[in-house]
Amino acid sequence: MALLDIRGLTVRYGGLAANADIDLHVDEGTLVGLIGPNGAGKTTFIDAITGFTHVSSGAIEFDGIDLTSLAPDRRAHLGLSRTFQSLELFEDLSVRDNLLVAAEKPPWFAFALDLLRVSKRRSVYEDQVDKALSALGLTELADRLPSDLSHGQRKLVGVARALAAKPKLLLLDEPAAGLDTAESQRLATHLRSFLSSGTTIFLIDHDMGLVLNVCDYIYVLDFGRIIASGTSSEVRRDPNVIAAYLGQSAGEAQAREGSNLAAARASTSETGATP
Amino acid sequence: MKDLIFFLLVGLGLGALYAMLGSGLVIVYRGSGVINFAHGAFAMYGVFTFDEARRNGHLRLPWVDFLPTHWLNVPVSIKLSDKGVPTPVAFVLAIAMAVLIGLLAHFLVFRPLRNSAALGKVVASVGVMLYLQGVAQLNFGGGNRQASSIVPDSAVRNFLGLGKTYPEGALWAVGISVLMGVTLWAIFKYTQFGLATRGAAGNEKGAVLLGYSPQFLAAMNWVIASVVATAAAIIVGPIQGSLTPVGLSALVVGALGAALIGGLRSIMVAMWGGLALGAVQSLLGLYSTRSWFPEFLRSGARDVVPLAVIVLVLFLRGKSLPQRGSLEEKRLPLSPRPVRIPQHTVIWALVVIGAAFVFQNSGSRTVFAFALSTSLIAAILMLSMVVVTGYVGQISLAQMSLAGIAAFFMARMMAHGATTASNPFPVSGPGLPWPVAGLLGVIAAVVVGVLVGLPAVRIRGVQLAVVTVAAAISLQTLYFENQSATDLSAGAPANVRPASFFGISLASLGSKGLTDRPAFAIFVMIVLVLCAVAVSNVRRNGTGRRFLAVRANERAAAAAGINVARTKLLAFGIGAGIAGIGGVMLAFKQNDVSSANFVYQSSLAFLAFAYLGGITSVNGAIVGGLLAPAGIITATSNYFLKGTSIDRYVTVLGGAALVFTAISNPNGIAPAFQEMLRHLGNWLRQARGKEWAAVGKRLGPAFVIGAVAGFAIWPLRVDSYSKVWMPILGGLIGLLVRSIVLGIRQSITAKQQKRRRRSGPAPTRREPGAIGAGARTAVGSGVDTHVALAHAEQV
Repeated sequence: MALLDIRGLTVRYGGLAANADIDLHVDEGTLVGLIGPNGAGKTTFIDAITGFTHVSSGAIEFDGIDLTSLAPDRRAHLGLSRTFQSLELFEDLSVRDNLLVAAEKPPWFAFALDLLRVSKRRSVYEDQVDKALSALGLTELADRLPSDLSHGQRKLVGVARALAAKPKLLLLDEPAAGLDTAESQRLATHLRSFLSSGTTIFLIDHDMGLVLNVCDYIYVLDFGRIIASGTSSEVRRDPNVIAAYLGQSAGEAQAREGSNLAAARASTSETGATP
Repeated sequence: MKDLIFFLLVGLGLGALYAMLGSGLVIVYRGSGVINFAHGAFAMYGVFTFDEARRNGHLRLPWVDFLPTHWLNVPVSIKLSDKGVPTPVAFVLAIAMAVLIGLLAHFLVFRPLRNSAALGKVVASVGVMLYLQGVAQLNFGGGNRQASSIVPDSAVRNFLGLGKTYPEGALWAVGISVLMGVTLWAIFKYTQFGLATRGAAGNEKGAVLLGYSPQFLAAMNWVIASVVATAAAIIVGPIQGSLTPVGLSALVVGALGAALIGGLRSIMVAMWGGLALGAVQSLLGLYSTRSWFPEFLRSGARDVVPLAVIVLVLFLRGKSLPQRGSLEEKRLPLSPRPVRIPQHTVIWALVVIGAAFVFQNSGSRTVFAFALSTSLIAAILMLSMVVVTGYVGQISLAQMSLAGIAAFFMARMMAHGATTASNPFPVSGPGLPWPVAGLLGVIAAVVVGVLVGLPAVRIRGVQLAVVTVAAAISLQTLYFENQSATDLSAGAPANVRPASFFGISLASLGSKGLTDRPAFAIFVMIVLVLCAVAVSNVRRNGTGRRFLAVRANERAAAAAGINVARTKLLAFGIGAGIAGIGGVMLAFKQNDVSSANFVYQSSLAFLAFAYLGGITSVNGAIVGGLLAPAGIITATSNYFLKGTSIDRYVTVLGGAALVFTAISNPNGIAPAFQEMLRHLGNWLRQARGKEWAAVGKRLGPAFVIGAVAGFAIWPLRVDSYSKVWMPILGGLIGLLVRSIVLGIRQSITAKQQKRRRRSGPAPTRREPGAIGAGARTAVGSGVDTHVALAHAEQV
């Protein structure tokens, strides 16, 4: 059974369907990608899964539980962790505290204990945080404030924060945006290593380079609809995808040119060599 | 039915005032993002200027002569004629005064604050309000004035056939307010200035790129708002009865209600909302005298019901998480992690205990004993603001009211149906012992605090601040002033019996009838220490991390698994508990509590001083407590300045200091002092003879010169400084002058260096992150796509 199972997901903003009738499955232990041009509805989709936007119709099932009516924090507790395109780090907390906030699953009476005791023993969450920090090579930056870090480092903190919660499914919203090629490559390596340690990943990006290289299975979104899906080599050849990325007219022109070329080649071969 | 229509119409007069002040608040908010708590004070100063010019022919400028000399004076008053100027001239003068006040408020206060957190602006506007109130008290006298109306105000008999007499002035008021509202609406809707203002409110950078100066627009909006407020108060104010500085300043509450109805956005809606608010209040005033009206609501319905409706509408309109891409609030200062809690505790405790015994019944210095416990209690109250506002970023102006809940509830639980010295009417109650009654009071405060915090689940930022004002007023009228809840007749204070602990009396009153018993100061100190350690613990542990996460970013906090609503309510609950403890201690100190202790204005003042101390840290709360009204610092300055005329200017100077500190020290005073104290501590630990000598050489001359000067002018003085203090004060002033001179010299050299550097090779400057990165991403990703597809084709 799929870890994340989405059927007929539709999100409407007024008359506009930002996501229309999306079916999508993520199997456990895989890295699934969702690509699409700007404005295709990718972030809306991740918002819908994580509970940040209202779902008009459709079902979201995660690990056998229907998520549709759950609040974002409940979904996070079930093992659904996300990053944000615009990072949204806790700027007032150190990098370590950023991760700790996500890692901790406190009981409801935690505040009473916190009021009374000065400090507590090293918790299990600290180990989780250390692991996430070292997985992304952030150990040395742990006590800095996010505002002191470079954009690339901040991106990694965002991913580490999501990872620190030990999610079953990690949803990454454009993690490569704003990274240079080297940083993007390093991110790809990190992602594969998370996968081997048992985290399922769902990756959203409009940067085809990263997605095509690391994902096991890819969905392509355009104008709120899934226009293609398959392995990276299947998606690459799909004419709908090419049209979506290079524009309808360009795609058509290219296709026409291709067929013209083929026809011309055929005609030359028919008439034989010219003098 | 006739009654209903008539009373609705009667309320329109006051409604017109709300409407005009409310649209002014909307204009200012849109123009510069400030909720102007001083708006009523603006109107007040304008109407007093008008009345004073018309009555006595004087124009009083909005400042005071604070120079303590007779030969050098700040011009304060301009004499125009001996017996008053004609009404139109007075009106023009008042409008000119409004323009001046609007410009001063913008350029001196809110322009320097344009990039600070919303809370900083709230604090500054409170400072402006206190300043203007203080100036008005000095320049116009604090008494009531009955200004005559400038619009015809005869009575219309059998108005509209309703069989009652209606004041004509109210009709004028409604007409003028609608006219003004429509004019303002048209200006903002159709003129280029209005469009530019709206544009600049949405996107300041965009407005600059289009060639508008957002600061000019903001200044214009301040002027418009100030003029409208003044005109409104002159035209409508006298209809409402006598004018007092404080009473007129309080009009801002109704105006805030009107502005909230307009969502702080729409002038039109604010105008109609203001009129409706006045009408509904008048109607509720009528109905609350009817027999069917619930007894419990009778005293407060007029104020509470409209506010409750507004809050409900806002609540239903709000979202439990901010939308993607919604405007982010400016951040509050960082909240440092508390360190060395035991050391801090021991030092503070020793200081307090020492002071408590030194000042006990010590002649004229006994004022310090009173001020000491006042400051300690204020620090407890401010700790509650550290939790709610400093840690979770929710601006609550109801903390004093929550303290009041605990105090009043405890008093009622202690009462046992007997009369007391201060209250000749017996108050019924279960007569519980103090620990039980106090605990019940704190629990009541927590319950109410969580209820007050409920709107925060969906209402954010400055809107929430206004909503908490509404809550504070509701608590005051529904509980503190409600006889059916307190069983206090005729506004008598509630009596509180002093506490004792295993036979040790913890009463505040000593044998001479002064609140100077060391036992009480130590009792308050122990409570303060417990509260402070608890708040430190919160900050150091997971709860504090979650608090700060919610403060920093609600969306990200929810994504990290934090229940944002529950976290906010938890903070309100903890804050209310601490505020309740503060209220209980205040009750023990005073032995009597009355609703005047817990008005929303005192919450405003306390929040302002907590902000000055440093609202994001425990130390900040303690410094704030020292600064608090009637606290140690006020007592000290009163003690040393006694006999000088400066004593009269305390309110004015306090307001000005509030504004000044909000601008110059947005992090609060405590962080700056902490740094200094740490350096001093380190130095004291290491300093030996050589270091002392070096410092003596550096600072000695300035101190000696100052001290000698202080000693020399001693025979010339007119005040009552002591012989010992004068040289010491002179020495300190010498040091201050030295540091100012050095600072100026340093800034001059820095400027010269900069000029020199500019003429050399240009320094490399980092690109502004957001725009640069965004552009790069857009370009980069386009290229990447092409590359990827080309690559795909090859494969």
